[in-house]
Amino acid sequence: MNDLHGIIFAYHSLRNLGDLTNHRNTCSVPYGSRYRLIDFMLSNMVNAGVSDIGLIVHENYQSLLDHVGSGKDWDLSRKHGGLRILPPFSTSERTQGEYRGNMDALVGVSSYLRNIRQDYVVLAWGDLAINFSLEEAFAQHLETQSDITVVCTNNRWGAPEVCQYLKTDGSGRVTDIIINPSQVPDGLESLEIYILSKSLLLSLVEECATHDMHSFSRGALLPRLNTLKITPYLYDGYVGRFHSVRNYFVRSMDLLKEDVRRDVFDPNSPVRTKDRFDPSTYYGPDSRCHNSLIADGCVIEGEVENSILFRGVVVEKGAKVSNCVLMQGTVIGADANVSYAVADKNVRIGEKRTLTGQETYPIAIPKNTAV
Amino acid sequence: MKKECVAMLLAGGQGSRLYALTSHVAKPAVPFGGKFRIIDFPLSNCANSGIDTVGVLTQYRPLELNSYIGSGQPWDLDRADGGVHILPPYMREGDQGTWYKGTANAIYQNIGFLDMYDPEYVVILSGDHIYKMDYSKMVDHHKRVGAACTISVLEVTMEEAKRFGIMNVDEQDMIYEFEEKPPQPKSNLASMGIYVFTWSKLRAYLIADEEDPNSSNDFGKNIIPDMLAAGEKMAAYRFHGYWKDVGTIDSLWDANMDMLAPRTSIDLYDPSWPIYARTPIKPPHFTGPESRISHSLVSGGSNIYGTVENSILFHSVTVEEGAEVRYSILMPGVTVKAGAKIEYSIIAENAVIEVNACVGTPPDGTDPDWGVAVVAGGVTVGENAVVTAHAMVRDDVKGGERV
Repeated sequence: MNDLHGIIFAYHSLRNLGDLTNHRNTCSVPYGSRYRLIDFMLSNMVNAGVSDIGLIVHENYQSLLDHVGSGKDWDLSRKHGGLRILPPFSTSERTQGEYRGNMDALVGVSSYLRNIRQDYVVLAWGDLAINFSLEEAFAQHLETQSDITVVCTNNRWGAPEVCQYLKTDGSGRVTDIIINPSQVPDGLESLEIYILSKSLLLSLVEECATHDMHSFSRGALLPRLNTLKITPYLYDGYVGRFHSVRNYFVRSMDLLKEDVRRDVFDPNSPVRTKDRFDPSTYYGPDSRCHNSLIADGCVIEGEVENSILFRGVVVEKGAKVSNCVLMQGTVIGADANVSYAVADKNVRIGEKRTLTGQETYPIAIPKNTAV
Repeated sequence: MKKECVAMLLAGGQGSRLYALTSHVAKPAVPFGGKFRIIDFPLSNCANSGIDTVGVLTQYRPLELNSYIGSGQPWDLDRADGGVHILPPYMREGDQGTWYKGTANAIYQNIGFLDMYDPEYVVILSGDHIYKMDYSKMVDHHKRVGAACTISVLEVTMEEAKRFGIMNVDEQDMIYEFEEKPPQPKSNLASMGIYVFTWSKLRAYLIADEEDPNSSNDFGKNIIPDMLAAGEKMAAYRFHGYWKDVGTIDSLWDANMDMLAPRTSIDLYDPSWPIYARTPIKPPHFTGPESRISHSLVSGGSNIYGTVENSILFHSVTVEEGAEVRYSILMPGVTVKAGAKIEYSIIAENAVIEVNACVGTPPDGTDPDWGVAVVAGGVTVGENAVVTAHAMVRDDVKGGERV
């Protein structure tokens, strides 16, 4: 599918993810034992045959750059096209300070947009854990001859105050958009993934820029519900949306359910990520490991249950880990006892320490902390 | 594009003593140690030793090996200048061209390749050994003693020495005699099949050897004895550390099991000398609520619901509830259904062991024919079927059958 160009919004750091986004952009938050959130949308696009992707960044993107590199792990390191990192490069005042919304971001990279060689563009946020068929969504877009297709779901995955909802008429056309309500309304939850033609995108960006509209849904969609044919594409699989540490914890534990893993880790559409050289995980003679998701390169000599372990985690002898998310390089010392915790990269829990969070309030341990 | 040092990796061997495991792939492409293939060890050693130009000589069943090596990117050998090159035998004008007749002939046929890089030294490696070694130190030794050829040697027991090519050396560790599998060994220095040659010397001996119609064109049988006879300076280079030839089913099984004891074998987790591999994209592995895993290696994409002890599991392996796997090697994509039992076995890629089937048995010390059982790639062992110890299964086994 070479007629579709990908644009991923990766410029934001959600503050309510606490320490998880202290050092990094939301899109580079580790998730699912070996991934960063950005991996999912990049993989959705690559698996649908998208060969050119622009990644819109603004601040705090060091760790994101480090992760995606040249894009080779997604087959996006190309002589022609491939992955482009897009920091703000227009000289207008608008790019001073943060982007106020995704339309603002598009305006910031408008010269890049004009040079897109494909006829269609897909716009998406880079912090959704989702594995959907973009190919199918694009096919539906062409078949229904819609102006804009919005990927959405009948289920509820996000907190209403940060989500958008769509109302449709009998023919399936979008008739209203409810943005950030205080309570969950009827209708479809929008995943804010949009497919539209390049020419329409350029005219919307132009018009929003001249009217200082900085949100795509408010500036481009709401005023045009009657003039544009906006159609939902329904996806009924798993969606991980993240807006708090607690919610990150719950979404991580969801992966221990087989049906969720079947959606997220569908072998026919693999999630690609940065390659490291990790050997297999070693289980010691007295280890116990139940109901857990374990990446390569770990050494487990203690007990682990209901947990998510990233690459290179070490659980020493006699240590007990339950209901935890342990990110890359975490070391749990001998006879330590840790439960309901989210440990960021390279955390070290000393021997015989006990750390206990609550299911409703998991402890988040910042990167490189020694306890 | 002159290079000081070029490595030539002999990867054409059929590995016929690995039987069912090499019916579809060359020996160097056989999976090893959970995430690797045998050839990852010499290739990673090259990369870590700073050798950036490697010729891989292929001949037998090269397809999988070729696609595995690809551009050489996993080993950092995708270079604009140098890099990894696959070298199959080829036709030449005038004569008919031939298959590689022997190890020396394989290098002889690629004199043109080597001349392109015009190296001072050539390192000859083989694709069936598991070890970590800094070849640059061996090349330094070669330079320091001013040898024409340096052979890496390992100290073995006198009993083991009878199975190896043995180097007899003087006080300076210079070789004065070479004996292939001597019944009465005079020394315990076994050749590891790793050679450093001064290229100009080797080049001359290869050409002379090719002109001898009675030669078997082999390094061990011809080139090394010829050089000794001519009085060339031949040095032994003592290697200390883990080294294993994985040319047989038993040694392959042993070497895999050795990976479970990194202190006495190879530390695959050591960041200072990583072994690289080309690995497919796989999600993390999952351990079920009733799983029991001990003293084992488990890799990405696997789902473990049963019991796994003292075993090596490659990626995408499924062990269902109630299934038991002990002292075994399960290669990528193997499925072990509920209630099946696998002991002392090697199960090759994508084989399926059906419900309640039994493969292999532990050694009881009385049966002289006991050995590791092998199930070839893609084979299905039917429900309640039994595969006995030392069996070599290449075709599907029907339910209830005993082989």
